[in-house]
Amino acid sequence: MSILENMKMAISSLLSHKMRSILTMLGIIIGVGSVIAIVAIGQGGEAMLKSQIVGTGNTVELYYMPSDEELQGNANSLMSPFTQDDIKAIETIPEVTNIVATSSNFGNIRNREDTVEAYITGINQSYLDVNELNVENGRNLLATDFLGGSRTAVVSASFREELFDGEDPLGEVIYIESQPVEIVGILEEPTGFLSFGSNDVYIPWNTWRSIYASNDISEVTLQAEDADALQEVGAKAADMLNRIHDTEEAYQVMNMEEIAAGLGQVTRIMTIIIGSIAGVSLLVGGIGVMNIMLVSVTERTREIGVRMSLGATRGQILFQFLVESVTLTLIGGAIGIFLGTGVANVVSYFAGWPPLVSFPVIIGGLLFSMIIGVIFGILPANKASSLDPIESLRYE
Amino acid sequence: MIRLESIRKSYKLGKEDVDVLKGIDLTINKGEFTAIMGPSGSGKSTIMNIIGCLDRPSSGDYFLNEKLVSEYDDKALARVRNQSIGFVFQQFQLLPRLNAWKNVELPMIYAGLKKKEREKRAKEALEKVGLADRMYHLPNELSGGQKQRVAIARAIVNQPDLILADEPTGALDTKTSVQIMELFTMLNLEGTTIVMVTHEQEVAVYAQRQIHVRDGLLNRNKQVVVDEGEKLQ
Ligand SMILES: Nc1ncnc2c1ncn2[C@@H]1O[C@H](COP(=O)(O)OP(=O)(O)O)[C@@H](O)[C@H]1O
Ligand SMILES: [Mg+2]
Repeated sequence: MSILENMKMAISSLLSHKMRSILTMLGIIIGVGSVIAIVAIGQGGEAMLKSQIVGTGNTVELYYMPSDEELQGNANSLMSPFTQDDIKAIETIPEVTNIVATSSNFGNIRNREDTVEAYITGINQSYLDVNELNVENGRNLLATDFLGGSRTAVVSASFREELFDGEDPLGEVIYIESQPVEIVGILEEPTGFLSFGSNDVYIPWNTWRSIYASNDISEVTLQAEDADALQEVGAKAADMLNRIHDTEEAYQVMNMEEIAAGLGQVTRIMTIIIGSIAGVSLLVGGIGVMNIMLVSVTERTREIGVRMSLGATRGQILFQFLVESVTLTLIGGAIGIFLGTGVANVVSYFAGWPPLVSFPVIIGGLLFSMIIGVIFGILPANKASSLDPIESLRYE
Repeated sequence: MIRLESIRKSYKLGKEDVDVLKGIDLTINKGEFTAIMGPSGSGKSTIMNIIGCLDRPSSGDYFLNEKLVSEYDDKALARVRNQSIGFVFQQFQLLPRLNAWKNVELPMIYAGLKKKEREKRAKEALEKVGLADRMYHLPNELSGGQKQRVAIARAIVNQPDLILADEPTGALDTKTSVQIMELFTMLNLEGTTIVMVTHEQEVAVYAQRQIHVRDGLLNRNKQVVVDEGEKLQ
């Protein structure tokens, strides 16, 4: 007797108790659905966090963390980690394709009578090669702006909202530290759940230098040709800076792989915790299936006796009921996958990260439902197959 | 064809052993139509279940077609039931959710026949019992006599050598009983061996041979009394 034959039989017997079958499946539907949704949301969120924190531009950040002795030797050093000479020195490293140098400050910005607080970042031209600054209105900063240190700025959408109440600020002059700068471009509104709009003002680094009368560069990010050699190139640059400044290990390279791994760990632990809650619901669902199958075996005692009298072996009876419970959990699993995918898509849509319900996850979900069907179906199926044919035929 | 040699069957009831069959010796030849008679509780069904390979004797040997089936394991017995024996029960024992055709198909599914072949044979069997026009009816849409005819179609569809009928007319009225007995007679004429349990003399006379059971033993003094005149009309 073929599996297909048994499946058809199982489906018709499940259809004869529609309500009961659906209620029985509910546990499996919820269990499988939440596993699928959680895995998808977890993976999507992780991918999103990684791309936000680590960046996608194959970059590595240098940072400055002097030891206590070094700090005491030069109290000023905490404030001015990098100099322009440092940048020139790093430029000599052949593998380095881009050096992003930025300086930033938090301060008041005025336009006519209104003032807001904003994050002012001086950027060099390489910044635009590595980071995306998508200008929606007006223009981006140009090479000439960077070279000459022109008084131009690109501002974020929320900055526009706060200072200009949504009116067109192109061509308006804003005052940073009482020095006038013209707004030439407005950035796109950031999409996504974790990127809240902040008040940002980007100006050429040379402009920043003249406004703040400081040569200091607060952040240096490197981009290398070969992404795999990134950490190595970063370490080379850090060594070079330590040599120039005669420091021990004050200049270091941010290990993005470690951060990414740490991040993965966090989402993995969360997935495990929520996953085990879903697992409990699957267990409860499985017990529900077992319970209903036991009821079904009792109800169909006579049918079992008839089948045996017609020549069904105990193995065939066992198989019939096993297929029935697997069909039950498989249908429940399929519905669960469908609903879980829906939930994952909705969450991803609002969170702004890619929905990650992958093919292996779906296959895994179906396989898992089948295994639940086998595990919790074996006891009822065994009960059915070990019935005595004569007593079963007499059963009322 | 059937040979029972000192068959005993006892059940444990509490601490006591209840002897239901106390040594049955019986030979039934191929092509015979035999009626087993006797009072209720005398052990008729127990004999039928042993002959039908649904039950095993506590002791004694049962030969079916010269094979000692009382020694067979469960799987081999299932195969014998499927291939060599057709059952007809008092309560019809049709599966209520399956239509007539699907019910008749069941033994062939367990025999591993292909769908085409099953369809053809099920149709033939239903035609033979005169129910070709009721193929797609569910059991609860059929009368008692029609149900029993579906059951007979199901019993003969694997072309067994032996039909075992335990009180096949017990739930039917006289007129319908006649139709069922005529069907058995026809099958017997075609060469099928039939063993039937009944306690109605009018039904038993359709058989060529009557065997009487009393308290788990065959009553040797009352055998083979066939009087055509007693047949119910
Ligand atoms: N499983 C059983 N356990 C105990 N006693 C049984 C069992 N099956 C049948 N019996 C007893 O065996 C006797 C014969 O039963 P059965 O063969 O069904 O009689 P009949 O068909 O002639 O009416 C009865 O007294 C019945 O109570
Ligand atoms: Mg009986």
